[in-house]
Amino acid sequence: MITLTFKGLWARKRRLVGTLVAVFLGVSFLSGALALGDTLRGNFDQLFTSANAGTDAVVRSATTLESGPRSDRTLIPASLASQVRSVGGVADAQPLVMGFGQLIGSDGKAIGGMGPPRIASNWVSDPALNPYHLVSGRAPAADDEVVINQGAANDGNLRLGQTTTVQVPQPVTVRIVGIATFGTAKGFGRATYTAFSLAGAERSITGRPDQISSISVKAAPGVSQDELVSRIQSVLPPGVQAITGAQLTSDNISSVNSTFLDTLRSFLLAFAGIALLVATFSISNTFSILTAQRTREAALLRAIGASRRQILGSGVIEALAVGVVASALGVVGGLGIAGLLKGVFDSFGFALPAGGLVVSTGSIVTALVVGVVVTAAAGLLPALRASRVPPLAALRETTTQASTASTRRVVAGLALTAIGVAVVLVALTGSGNGVLGPTAIGALATLVGMVVLGPVVARPASAVIGWPAARLRGLPGALARRNAMRHPRRTSAAATALMVGVAVVTLFTVFAASLKTSMNNGVAGSFRGDVAITPSGFVGGGGSGGGGGGALSPQLAATAAQLPQVQVATGLGTGNARVAGHAETVSVVDPRQIGAVLDLHPVSGSLARLGPDGIAVSQHTADSNHWRVGTQLPVVLPDGTPSALDVEAVYTSRDLTGDYVLPEAAWAPHAVQTFESAILVKLSPGTGTAAGVTAVRQVAAPFGSPTVQDRAAFVSSAGGIINTVLGIVYALLALAILIALFGIANTLSLSIFERTRELGLLRALGETRQQLRASLRWESVIIALFGTIGGLGLGVFLGWALADAVDIAQGIATFTAPPAQLAVILLVGGLAGVLAALRPGHRAARLPMLAAMAAE
Amino acid sequence: MTTSLTTTTAVAARAVAATKIYGTGDAAVRALDAVSLELADGRFTAIMGPSGSGKSTLMHCLAGLDDLTSGQVFVGDVELGSLSDRELTLLRRERLGFVFQSFNLVPTLSAAENIALPALLAGTRTDEEWVDSVIDAVGLRDRLAHRPAELSGGEQQRVAVARALAMRPDIIYADEPTGNLDSRSGAELLAFLRRAVRQLGQTVVMVTHDPSAAARADTVVFLADGRIVDELAEPSSEAIFDHLKSLGD
Repeated sequence: MITLTFKGLWARKRRLVGTLVAVFLGVSFLSGALALGDTLRGNFDQLFTSANAGTDAVVRSATTLESGPRSDRTLIPASLASQVRSVGGVADAQPLVMGFGQLIGSDGKAIGGMGPPRIASNWVSDPALNPYHLVSGRAPAADDEVVINQGAANDGNLRLGQTTTVQVPQPVTVRIVGIATFGTAKGFGRATYTAFSLAGAERSITGRPDQISSISVKAAPGVSQDELVSRIQSVLPPGVQAITGAQLTSDNISSVNSTFLDTLRSFLLAFAGIALLVATFSISNTFSILTAQRTREAALLRAIGASRRQILGSGVIEALAVGVVASALGVVGGLGIAGLLKGVFDSFGFALPAGGLVVSTGSIVTALVVGVVVTAAAGLLPALRASRVPPLAALRETTTQASTASTRRVVAGLALTAIGVAVVLVALTGSGNGVLGPTAIGALATLVGMVVLGPVVARPASAVIGWPAARLRGLPGALARRNAMRHPRRTSAAATALMVGVAVVTLFTVFAASLKTSMNNGVAGSFRGDVAITPSGFVGGGGSGGGGGGALSPQLAATAAQLPQVQVATGLGTGNARVAGHAETVSVVDPRQIGAVLDLHPVSGSLARLGPDGIAVSQHTADSNHWRVGTQLPVVLPDGTPSALDVEAVYTSRDLTGDYVLPEAAWAPHAVQTFESAILVKLSPGTGTAAGVTAVRQVAAPFGSPTVQDRAAFVSSAGGIINTVLGIVYALLALAILIALFGIANTLSLSIFERTRELGLLRALGETRQQLRASLRWESVIIALFGTIGGLGLGVFLGWALADAVDIAQGIATFTAPPAQLAVILLVGGLAGVLAALRPGHRAARLPMLAAMAAE
Repeated sequence: MTTSLTTTTAVAARAVAATKIYGTGDAAVRALDAVSLELADGRFTAIMGPSGSGKSTLMHCLAGLDDLTSGQVFVGDVELGSLSDRELTLLRRERLGFVFQSFNLVPTLSAAENIALPALLAGTRTDEEWVDSVIDAVGLRDRLAHRPAELSGGEQQRVAVARALAMRPDIIYADEPTGNLDSRSGAELLAFLRRAVRQLGQTVVMVTHDPSAAARADTVVFLADGRIVDELAEPSSEAIFDHLKSLGD
């Protein structure tokens, strides 16, 4: 029986190619996602391990200002360095001053960014405590001398001895006196590194000679890291902690894992899951059709004595064999996909530190097992059906019967869909974060209900969708329509794969548009100026400035304000602080100026009257914490100073400022580096917008050429990051759509095989090859449109549900179904049908006509 | 002999040294071996011969469904070998009609649509009056809306004949048209083809191995081993039967 199974497999290899491709693509995506995760993890592990290799202990503040991999902390007293150095067992202790520094290249453009940090620091001369090693030049001595890393030097075309600018974020002119490598690499991943002398760093980065970021400690021979830490800890004041170098490394690694890698992995795996789900539908359909076509073969085997179990086993083994071969190929293909995925992120401006490819055994096993299990599961149902064929069927003249939908299916499908929709509708009457869970469950039930209903709807839907083709395209169109209606279960199975893919695409499209609408409305409603300056390159990325996000110098606001064309130019600062015990991103404004360019729609109080001990909070935050005007909030600022600020205003528009706004008077004395996330400009009366933009752009150019936009452009670019993410999502979903296309093409190919005689007859009677291809093309388009329309409907509903749920929970989405984008999806769906029919049509047109005349 | 009879009337189609070889080398089979034949216009010609004699191949080549290895086939004045696939398709659609042994109808189309199929493919209108008279003649008036699966074997073949006649083609090729029918339905179908020739002047070429079917033809051409071995005019089924027996030896 097993020999027979494999012989049968080999004989049908052509027909199994479609299945193989679907499994292969799905598994490739999965193993690619896993491999990229492994690679990034491996690289980060290595980076952090070598970065901290010679550091036995680190002394730092216990107060974090940011929850993230580069967790920003408050400063500690500089005097601690000498105290630590005098502790027994300490061989060396070096103060470290670290912050943000944007290097400007020879062409005047900013170097790096796009995710990885841009670090400015002091040069530590003890090679054990400094992972950077000079490859040319020398250590910085004067305040304006720096060492930069090789990668940044290459990217910015900067050479030893050259003078350039570092924005910290105010521009500082520096001379490059040394080039360093990180170990032997050109840098710490893609991070840029600029090292001043200690005095230079204190002057340029923190502006405080009495405070430092941390202390790196080397142990004397024979002193263990744990021993070292406990000795140091005893001399430290409260609020300052010492940890071992090993601890630092594992903290760094787990921090990058939990905040970045796990998110990325989940994100990629979710899309791999969608691709595999779509593949499952395609595989299952292929097996179903193959089983139907082999009814007589199965019956013959039964008649000559094969047991049901043997027929079932044969079907399962067949699926397993396909699963194993395709999954094995998929794992190999995954290595290519990993590179491709990295390329996708790169092309959208996210720089990932992925060097050599690392794939763990676990990932390979996972991808293999998932691929085989999915294929076997998809093949099980058709195999069961085949095993139920009575032996007598061998003697009957059986063609593959068009199945009609059972009443049970209709009832189950309608019930599931109705319950799903009802759950969503009820869930959305709730409030707070609690609405998300029930909404997701309802959405899932709706999806399952629609899949169940597919075969019921396929016939009438194909009739309606195919009507124009039948009317306008003559006989080929009419035949296409009837053929699409012929096997509703088959049509719906082929279309379902596409439906799922399109539903997800539509969901993201609608959700992204909803977020953008909300953001644009928020920005349009609160921005009252004429021109805005924003950091160029990577948009968004948090408020630390030291992170991937951009930062502007406050000097730029001052410079722009001098222009005769400008009435007001004021910065919207950003930074990290602890507010009421939580690390938060805060905005900083100049209350005297901000009213001219920003209206946050306060419900009580006013930004313009924010006093030096005041803070403004968003209504969303105030409500969920039960704060109101007059509430006193404990705040810890970057230099470590604890203070208390009074809530003096509560506002509703938080798209530009986030949830907290501090006055400059409260922030500036305690800030380490002051960053502007945007500079908002109101032009003088009588100045045209275009003239204003040109004037501002001119003065902004020396500051690393940030983006200067008029009001309309600024408002519409507010959701820029959303477009970027949506672009990546589309790229990742393309594979699922591709698999769905293969599914449709495969279904067509198998149908053609079944219709060989019919096609031959039509050709004999005078159907041209062109007409034959047109007919298949229209059939494919009808199936594709059926799936696309179902997916669009489902996707818009899910998108609405998600947008509404998120709006209830977070207040950041306004449901928007962008008609142009949805029309494009429909069009692409139809075109996908045309593409799917290309190969089957080509093959069908070459079928010998005489096959029609061959006697049964 | 009766060859003078065929040469004096107009010729609907002819083959000149038509040779068809399947396969190559040792496996080569000479299905047609330099067959030359003229099919008279307005006549009912039967092609007979034992299995493997090449009779179906001859018909397929005469109808442009298969191509020759060497030699020529003409429909009227048109040499089929010189036509592209598209030209050949259009020629079949416009000038030839077909009745096959089985699987004659497109299962998704109704009887009426199957009858109109060549016209639908050509995108032209049918001569409604003519088609109506054909439908009445084959007695399908009340079955027009039915799908092939809902028709009996005899009805299906009658639909096929109606389809072949609907376009008033130069020649109708019928390949074992009664092969799958019971004797009564078979006799009816032959009578109908016969009437089409007699009353309407339709040219019909039929491949069959049934002597009683061939007896309805004006001329019977006998094939054996890819060659024409004889031709009988106005034969009786006994004469045909005797002839076949001699071929079998």
